[in-house]
Amino acid sequence: MRNWRAALDRRTARLPWRRATGPSWLQIAAVVVVVALVLAVTVVGLAIEESSSFVAFLATVFVAVTVIQLSGIGRWVAETFKNHSRIAAVAGVAAAFAFPFTQGGSGYWVRVFASVGVFAVAALGLNVVVGLAGLLDLGYVAFFGVGAYTGALLGGAALSPVRLQLPFLAVVLIGAAVAAGVGVIIGAPTLRLRGDYLAIVTLGFGEIFRITVNNWTGLTRGPNGVAGIPDLAAGPFDFGERHELFGVSLAGFTNYYFLEIVLVLVAILVFTRMDESRVGRAWVAIREDETAAEAMGINTTRLKLLAFAIGAAMAGVAGTVNAHVTSQVSPDSYTFIESILLVAAVVLGGMGTVPGALLGSTLLFVIPEKLRAFQQSRLLLFGIALILIMRFRPQGLIPSRRRTRELRQDDPAEGDAMGSPPSAPVTPTASSG
Amino acid sequence: MNQFFQQFANGLVLGSTYALIALGYTMVYGIIQLINFAHGEIFMMGAFGGLATHAWIVPDGAPAALALLMVLVGAILTSVATAVLMERLAYRPLRNAPRLAPLITAIGVSIVLQEGIRLFYPGAKTARPFPRLISGENLHLGEITIARVSIVQVLTAVVLTVGLTLFIRRTRTGKAMRATAEDPQTAQLMGINVDRIIVITFVLGAALAAVAGVLQGMRFGQIDFRMGFLMGIKAFTAAVLGGIGNVAGAVLGGFMLGLVEVLATEYLPLGSAWKDVWAFVVLIGILVFRPSGLLGERVAARA
Amino acid sequence: MRRTNRTFRLIAGLAVAVLVLGACGGNDDGDTGGTTDDAKILKIGVIAPLTGDLSALGLGIRNGVDLAIQQANEGNKIEGYKLELAAEDDTAKPDVGAQVATKLSSDDEVVAVVGTLNSSVAESVQPVLDGEGIAMVSPANTAIGLTMGADQKNPQRPHPNYFRVATTDAVQGPFAADFASKDLKATEVAIVHDNKTYGKGLTEAFAERFKANGGEVVLTETVNPGDKDFGAVVSRIRRAKPDLIYYGGEYPEASLLSSQIDAAGIDAPLMGGDGIYDDTFFETGGDGTVGDFATSVGAPLTELESAADFIEAYDAAGFDDPPSAYGGYAYDAANVIIKGLEEALGGGEGDSAADIATIRTDLIEAIQGVEIDGVTGPVAFDELGDTTTKVLTVYKVTAPRACAEEASGEEEDEDATTTTAAAGEEEDEDATTTTAASDAEAGDKPCWKPEKTGEFSGSDDEAAEGESDSSTTTAKDKSAGGAAE
Repeated sequence: MRNWRAALDRRTARLPWRRATGPSWLQIAAVVVVVALVLAVTVVGLAIEESSSFVAFLATVFVAVTVIQLSGIGRWVAETFKNHSRIAAVAGVAAAFAFPFTQGGSGYWVRVFASVGVFAVAALGLNVVVGLAGLLDLGYVAFFGVGAYTGALLGGAALSPVRLQLPFLAVVLIGAAVAAGVGVIIGAPTLRLRGDYLAIVTLGFGEIFRITVNNWTGLTRGPNGVAGIPDLAAGPFDFGERHELFGVSLAGFTNYYFLEIVLVLVAILVFTRMDESRVGRAWVAIREDETAAEAMGINTTRLKLLAFAIGAAMAGVAGTVNAHVTSQVSPDSYTFIESILLVAAVVLGGMGTVPGALLGSTLLFVIPEKLRAFQQSRLLLFGIALILIMRFRPQGLIPSRRRTRELRQDDPAEGDAMGSPPSAPVTPTASSG
Repeated sequence: MNQFFQQFANGLVLGSTYALIALGYTMVYGIIQLINFAHGEIFMMGAFGGLATHAWIVPDGAPAALALLMVLVGAILTSVATAVLMERLAYRPLRNAPRLAPLITAIGVSIVLQEGIRLFYPGAKTARPFPRLISGENLHLGEITIARVSIVQVLTAVVLTVGLTLFIRRTRTGKAMRATAEDPQTAQLMGINVDRIIVITFVLGAALAAVAGVLQGMRFGQIDFRMGFLMGIKAFTAAVLGGIGNVAGAVLGGFMLGLVEVLATEYLPLGSAWKDVWAFVVLIGILVFRPSGLLGERVAARA
Repeated sequence: MRRTNRTFRLIAGLAVAVLVLGACGGNDDGDTGGTTDDAKILKIGVIAPLTGDLSALGLGIRNGVDLAIQQANEGNKIEGYKLELAAEDDTAKPDVGAQVATKLSSDDEVVAVVGTLNSSVAESVQPVLDGEGIAMVSPANTAIGLTMGADQKNPQRPHPNYFRVATTDAVQGPFAADFASKDLKATEVAIVHDNKTYGKGLTEAFAERFKANGGEVVLTETVNPGDKDFGAVVSRIRRAKPDLIYYGGEYPEASLLSSQIDAAGIDAPLMGGDGIYDDTFFETGGDGTVGDFATSVGAPLTELESAADFIEAYDAAGFDDPPSAYGGYAYDAANVIIKGLEEALGGGEGDSAADIATIRTDLIEAIQGVEIDGVTGPVAFDELGDTTTKVLTVYKVTAPRACAEEASGEEEDEDATTTTAAAGEEEDEDATTTTAASDAEAGDKPCWKPEKTGEFSGSDDEAAEGESDSSTTTAKDKSAGGAAE
């Protein structure tokens, strides 16, 4: 793999589009066109229901991407995106907002992507804990559950034992606060633990949460869960109803989708601010070598607790919103396997990165949905997909650039032994390092 | 008091299953620091391998002892083959990958094995009956009643643990395993074939899990495709409780976990509903005071 | 350089292979779907778990609906329309349930949905389908709140599109309790449940009535679905020495529990609800399950003509999987929808202007008034969407020999064949096990034998019949419902 890429690089080096050149209006136009193209391809791909056509579609896309990559245009596009990252971000958000208008009033994929949004916020939170601070948490879904139950109990569910309906914003904040509190409670006694001992303890706390919720009938109504959570309303605007916008009738669900986009943006902001701050660097230091970090004067106890609290709070927010999205909460939604899926979202996409968590969450929802055509064997195929992705992209689909650099510097031999070069189709490699 | 001893016996029986599976977890972890979440599925594959052997290979009317032997061999072969394939195809390519990659692969393998059995083993969408090859009257000690197969299971667990310990302590291969666990690079330099040692570790763990699977099947008279999942998590808990990477610790952890669950059911209010909570509370309590488990020695520096 | 070429060739080869495969697949599908006549298509959706732990139950539901649709198409029951099945996997998760409900409601040909299996999934599916005015008929939900809303004393139907052919815990639990105290003369009972909606609710309703009948609950335990070793719980049961063990939950755990209870030398039988009324219960539980009881809705399958027909047709249709506990209910649910469609579309057959929204609305109205003779007995709905059928039957697991003796009548014979057929190719293997475990004749298996059929007509009648304190019983019944929803 490495050899032919290098050879290709040499061969195409003299081609005019190898470097990100050209007038800036052309570059901006290119960014917009590429984003629009990605949106179009996604819409077409999602619309194909039949399995064989979809496989053919995937093959076509694969071939097209390979050709673009090989011709060197891919590199030019990647460079352009880097030069105009702000415009690219705006275009991406615009595309996300435009997506429901391409669905012809059908709410199916919009709903799937709203779930993706909820999941992505939680995954970004977990990314703080696992990706940045390096604390493997196998019971993370508990924080999501804490948020969901807070949302259900205080959000005016018909079957809530608490006769109280607080405004949504208050509920979200309370959900985040309660989850963060639980995060600190779980974090405090386990700070001495390292590596996989921490993993099993968090797994235990996750199970303790589920069993407690299942048995505390007075508050949570036990296995029946809390149902009848009302749709959100902002004044006269009911989130659950169909609305007309720009002449297109949007399924009621779209409102939640828009809300999710906003939430994801906030989560991204929180994550990147953290990542680029002193705190973020301290986390990475703890992740790489806790003893050394401590020796350098980093207060590991406080920072690890902070990681737990922030991660938990983000999951709490996601949970509160999800309570309204699914209109019910019940203990069977917060099992160990859900925690594992969240970890999988972070690892599949690429640990410690924003696009990684987003892509990972998307794949974990979209793959099973697209596999519906295979009916019974879809879970089997999903398992195979997990194995294959990890086999060929052990660092995740969009690996962290910083991380890659770190690994290279630490141990070049190991960096090469990764099997495949750590580059995604649209991520520049050699030029960035 | 009788009830206490009865429940204590129940706890030992339950714990012996955990122990047999936890051994596989702990050995693999000791050598390559991998939480092999698919190990519970190896246990399940063993049980189905045994069942298939009984259904299609064991001749009708074979004496129970012969049938049992054949079933055991069939189970062990199935488990070992699965484990070796899994190691070769899924884990070995990831040996130098970031630590969490193989964890996700393990989840993938676990899903594939469960769904594979569910879809392709005839009738396995629901539980399948398993032959009770060790039958006969229960044994009575005073007022305590224990099934014969349960006693066989506890004894098997003890014997296999002793055997495994001797193997690791006394044989050349065992020595090589310890060396690899200590430091794979140096072991390689000393002329140890690390790949081979890793495969042997998987094989040993799988064989023990297969025995556990057959015993479980005979004890309850039925097996199903999801039997390994929860068992795997419990066994992993047991391995960590005892100090992951430590063979004696895994067995101790297994028995302890079994006893906690059973005694919590008997003596604590609403015990059966909360027993898993108590099990994890004990685990967390122990880890708070002994961060590397009951018998674990060094703190794993890897995060 | 050589390496470069090889990689290129590999990629190109793969791409071509995939394209060719895709094209071939496309052709195949085109052929099967090629029979397009003038009939317009209407789809009946199914939302149930088709993969994972509960797939056996979910597949039974899907097949039941499939069968009803096939029969409707063959009989051309709805003129001018062809029915199709649109089955979706909810993986027993509420959020996935809501997703597929949205998917189905976005499909302009879907008129109604049969589902779900789990009450928690139903709670998230209800509002989605209600928003689009799509009827939902559940074959298996038992949670009381689904039809009665938050307050059972003052029931208010939360979603007018929701119906169910399964009975709630409030009917089945008390019926079983009456059987236990009056027919089995049990006075002390141990209760075990799986701590899930169905199991817990059922045992709570049972316990309330059983205590009202003068009995005593000596022990309440839970088992964890997924656990296999119930030794600790069984030892507690043994010491409590109950006359009967009442289990709330489904057959996988029930069969384990029953055989372990038997192995521990406890003679008391186990009794459960329709969740354990499945052949797998004794196929996997073996000898230990003989003498156990289960309640199920409707008159005995063997006495109902419709039921015998269903079993025969199900076998003839050649499904891969047995109907399981809810296949019959799902068949009824689908037939309710089909009958409703007949009425909703009746007369205006040639009216092509009938848009999907109108059909959907008319259908909900029609279903409310539908009455059919189903597999489980007469099916109709009350003002809350609950089934009006209150006929229940107690079945007993009967030893193989007694089974064979009983199977002298023609219909009984039919049932016996089904029991064997359901197990499929593993016949031999099952047989060996049974022989190993019991002294029965080789090849024979136990069977469910109807023990008692009765009508549970609310709490009033029952109370008036035997109990002196009718008013208390009534009140208790209601509160039992309240606790169980």
